Amino acid sequence: MELGLEVREVGSHSVAQVRGEIDVYTAPKLRERLIELVSEGSYHIVVDLERVDFLDSTGLGVLVGALKRVKSHDGSLSLVCTQDKILKIFEITGLDLVFPIYASEKEATQEAPQAAS
Amino acid sequence: MTAVELEIPPRSAYVGVVRLTLASLARTSGLDEDGVEELKIAVSEACANAVLANEEAGSEEPVTIKYTSDAEALTVLVQDRGGDSSDPVAHDLFDSQGFSSRVAMSLRLLNSLVDDCDFIPRDGGGMTTHLVVKRQ
Repeated sequence: MELGLEVREVGSHSVAQVRGEIDVYTAPKLRERLIELVSEGSYHIVVDLERVDFLDSTGLGVLVGALKRVKSHDGSLSLVCTQDKILKIFEITGLDLVFPIYASEKEATQEAPQAAS
Repeated sequence: MTAVELEIPPRSAYVGVVRLTLASLARTSGLDEDGVEELKIAVSEACANAVLANEEAGSEEPVTIKYTSDAEALTVLVQDRGGDSSDPVAHDLFDSQGFSSRVAMSLRLLNSLVDDCDFIPRDGGGMTTHLVVKRQ
């Protein structure tokens, strides 16, 4: 089982596109990459979950951890997701009220808070 | 009635194997695809909790997964040897900033995605997580 992760810059956002399954085995890889991004000075992050097939509480824990990190730098963490099965996980845990969730990367990078220029 | 038992080393790498195996068994038992997706998450949560509890307790004992299906329900038992670490209710449910902990989120998912979810302490330490999906 593999987790694919590509990060690129879109305007003032870092967009992390995730592919595959995020569970107790693969979540540490996502955690490390998000910690790395914040330590490199990326405080406005968009995590694109459109190509994620599976997400559990360990993946949610990583996203919450990253949110706390960027918030401590007055940053933001937004998500891209339109998959019902993944959105349901956020709804059950109440995290749909914590994370801004957008239907596309374009919306997320245009509407999510941006770094001051 | 169908009964299948799996035993995995207490390592996170094997949780995906259990998830895929149980999904396949549930499909074979006639569960619809939405039900299979929900069972996959519940089984993954129970197995992750079991593996992490074993790790926390330093236990090398295997995690056992018992699957049964009959005309009434699909039942999954996940058994660990994580000692006190196995009790999800004993963990902090919120962190210092008021965010739900991973365990709290896991409990919400388990309680929402299956019809019954119980945690039963095992003789000799550890926990049995008991999941039931009733047939409609």
